[in-house]
Amino acid sequence: MENHITLEIIEQASPPETPSLIKYISSNELEDFDEFDSEFPSPISKESEETYNHQRKPSISVSMPLCYKETQLQSLNNNNNKNVSFSGENVIIRDDLASGIAMSEPPRQSKFKSQPMPKGVAFQQDGSQTRKANRNHNQPGIKMFRDKRFDSFKTWSGGGLERQLSILRGKEPIGNAQDGNNATRSFDRALPVDRYFDALEGPELETLKSSEEIMLPHDKQWPFLLRFPVSSFGICLGVSSQAILWKTLATSPTTEFLHITPKINLILWYISAVLIATIFAVYILKLLFYFEAVRREYYHPIRVNFFFAPWIALLFLALGVPPSVTKNLHQSLWYILMAPILFLELKIYGQWMSGGQRRLSKVANPSNHLSVVGNFVGALLGASMGLIEGPIFFFAVGLAHYTVLFVTLYQRLPTNATLPKELHPVFFLFVAAPSVASMAWAKMQGSFDYGSRIAYFIALFLYFSLAVRINFFRGFKFSLAWWAYTFPMTGAAIATIRYSNQVPNIVTKSLCIALALISTFTVIALLLSTILHAFVFRDLFPNDIAIAISDRKRKPHKHWLFRYGSQDSKEIENYLKFVNTDESSLDDSTPQPSSNDTDHNLPK
Amino acid sequence: MKINMECSQSNIELVIIEKNITNHNNQKSTSLMFTKRSLIRSITCILKKLHAGYFRISLSFGGQALLWKTLIDPTNDTSKSRHVLSMLPSSVFIVLWSMSLFILALLSLLYLLRCLFFFKMVKEEFLHHVGVNYLFAPWISWFLLLQSAPFIAPKTITYLILWWVFTVPVVVLDVKIYGQWFTKGKRSFLTTVANPTSHLSVIGNLIGAQAAAEMGWKESAVCLFSLGMVHYLVLFVTLYQRLSGGDRLPALLRPVFFLFFAAPGVASLAWESIVGDFDTLSKMLFFLSLFLFMSLVCRPALFKRSMRRFNVAWWAYSFPVTVLAMASTNYAQQVKGTVSHILMLILLALSVLVSFSLTLFTLLNSKMLLPDNDPIASILIV
Repeated sequence: MENHITLEIIEQASPPETPSLIKYISSNELEDFDEFDSEFPSPISKESEETYNHQRKPSISVSMPLCYKETQLQSLNNNNNKNVSFSGENVIIRDDLASGIAMSEPPRQSKFKSQPMPKGVAFQQDGSQTRKANRNHNQPGIKMFRDKRFDSFKTWSGGGLERQLSILRGKEPIGNAQDGNNATRSFDRALPVDRYFDALEGPELETLKSSEEIMLPHDKQWPFLLRFPVSSFGICLGVSSQAILWKTLATSPTTEFLHITPKINLILWYISAVLIATIFAVYILKLLFYFEAVRREYYHPIRVNFFFAPWIALLFLALGVPPSVTKNLHQSLWYILMAPILFLELKIYGQWMSGGQRRLSKVANPSNHLSVVGNFVGALLGASMGLIEGPIFFFAVGLAHYTVLFVTLYQRLPTNATLPKELHPVFFLFVAAPSVASMAWAKMQGSFDYGSRIAYFIALFLYFSLAVRINFFRGFKFSLAWWAYTFPMTGAAIATIRYSNQVPNIVTKSLCIALALISTFTVIALLLSTILHAFVFRDLFPNDIAIAISDRKRKPHKHWLFRYGSQDSKEIENYLKFVNTDESSLDDSTPQPSSNDTDHNLPK
Repeated sequence: MKINMECSQSNIELVIIEKNITNHNNQKSTSLMFTKRSLIRSITCILKKLHAGYFRISLSFGGQALLWKTLIDPTNDTSKSRHVLSMLPSSVFIVLWSMSLFILALLSLLYLLRCLFFFKMVKEEFLHHVGVNYLFAPWISWFLLLQSAPFIAPKTITYLILWWVFTVPVVVLDVKIYGQWFTKGKRSFLTTVANPTSHLSVIGNLIGAQAAAEMGWKESAVCLFSLGMVHYLVLFVTLYQRLSGGDRLPALLRPVFFLFFAAPGVASLAWESIVGDFDTLSKMLFFLSLFLFMSLVCRPALFKRSMRRFNVAWWAYSFPVTVLAMASTNYAQQVKGTVSHILMLILLALSVLVSFSLTLFTLLNSKMLLPDNDPIASILIV
């Protein structure tokens, strides 16, 4: 093994300043490596892609066969100062600012020894993986075409897809068999929720703390798909709820005096249908190409709630369908739409119930309302379609879990890390659940009876207590998720209209109009700022830091491989993982390898 | 008896030695004395190990008895499946009921003896955050048997007296335990002691409410119902929040998570008895129970560790599923339709299967029924 030093240079799209000589040599030497598979005890081949060192230091890592852990990465940029450090097992060349070699590998490695394949590895067992990893390392020169930094987030199938595409385009089929393998392998272990709390801050857990590093380059703009967060579905929510509002305005007896034309509803409905289709398509592409990013969004304590948003948006579409398009929707549509919601709920409420690291007292935040509102919206739709039992089912489940969530959020437990310390538009989500629940109950019972009124008044109270604090809603960075916070306002307006149908008097009517106007203006304002950010500032989709947090907090630790010549001031991401400090978890979404619960390893 | 054997290992030696010493004349009388002594020793052994958790067995049997009584009772559910089920011979039901009665009586007697001779242990159970909830279990079982009794009609005086006999201890325990939740010091705070077995206190109230409603005593039924429901609300929120993380339940006791959906199921049945009809609130409670059941069934990893070795905690699976089956029967009766009846049949089959397999497992592993390292007992045995 002595002689098998692999000199890997990862190139990027723009070729670095590394002299071509080195490249040439490396590619030559590495030809033979494919046959050396046997010499490489199945290391974890995640290495390659995984660590993208965060800071712009170019680094070259030279790894000995046994340890496949290092991974290089790095993109160039600026300095070329490279340090070469040797250790018994690794030869690491870094520049002064050293990049972390982020290992997201098996937590308990204290030595660079060959590692057993982690259990979560989705595909390919040892041999083939190794081979691929080898090849990956071994043919760096050819990879100049594509930016490899984002490969860790790519899906295997996505890699294959790209290969096909590149073949079609006439490029040489780069030894890209391994391109795919990379990706998810590196992250077979789910990020524990504590990592998100540690690394991110801000009311939407979007901003990186200064002590943290991310795994993707900070300065470069990432591929569009990687920048497309799941909270974009909030736009669908905002627009489709507007469609419902204008439909209600046009068809309600109490607002007839306004003579609202049903065309507005029609236009808005078509717009939202197109929007939903587009965003769905884009997100499905992201799912196909960057599955890892989607996964990380799923494990994000706030973003996970936005996974309900697409289905709620579809429900809104069904609720707001213009009478001219169709009068009656088929009942099976309801079952189809509610199935994903039911499935997601079973997963997420189960996580709350079984304790563990994703228990409610820890992760509760206003966005959790999104997971509860879906129940009520489904109940509303079902009741308006004429179903009886289904709506009651979802209403009951939603009500029970809403009670829990409501109490928890009001408590603002000190153990809760996610609640924003200051007011933020996300708080408007508080208004969503009671207003939709009141409408659903009214539809189920046939009239706006006492139960609905109680829920409605609660919603109204929450709305006003937030509206009078409007001053405190300033000074926040605009984000796409704000669209999601408009639908509660619209929902309150619609509930008011329904209420005024039951109790028509001047107060309720004026309240209708006022709330409808407020919600419309908010949406228009939001639309304008979205357009502004999209075309003028061009930062509608900034780099999605939240999904790129590294696996391990950077900290120096004792088992450093000996590096000499390294002058870096910052710590380098350590290779060796300590045992995770998480408590043993009952939750199956924390697949930490432990001696007892080995069956928890598969990320679910 | 296998159980005897493991308790009295130490006795055998003694017996053998002594037997060799005595001469043949005394042999008969001494052997009698020894069997008596070994009997006493084995009983003492059993009493030491028998904690209130063993009443899970009587809970399950009582639940099954009530389920079958519901099925064979005349009903206005005209569907075929119900018709078929009601053709079950009542003799089978009577056998089942008598068996439950026998088991419950035996357990109650043994527990009574334990109270008399090992009061200290019972006291420790009472002070333990899991053990205290199982003190409700005997009374719940008695309520179930009362309701399913084939020869005691609800409006008779016997029923009334027995209802009082069982309700008073439940209310006393309520006052003590619920009061502790919000008045007593740090160690008794709800947030620290809450765990899934606390649902048993709620179930106790609700079962009492149901029994009262059957008698026609609507007010006490509503009283007990509201008592149970309000504490259920508090408990539900607290348990979902999981403030203290893993909630201090040993892994072997994970089967008690099934109690999560037992409580709304019993509430649904109780409300139906009060109102007379399976109305919206009952439906909502039934659906909540169904949802929680599905949610637990989808998480088998939660129970893996407790399923490695047989222990009496496995009996915790049976009662909740039986309750859910009962509620689904009533639901199917209200909401006529194929889906509800299919659901009913599935749940019925599941409940019978679970109870039957548990019985089988227990008979096969009777040695492990009173193990040395039972999770609750090990804390309590000094």
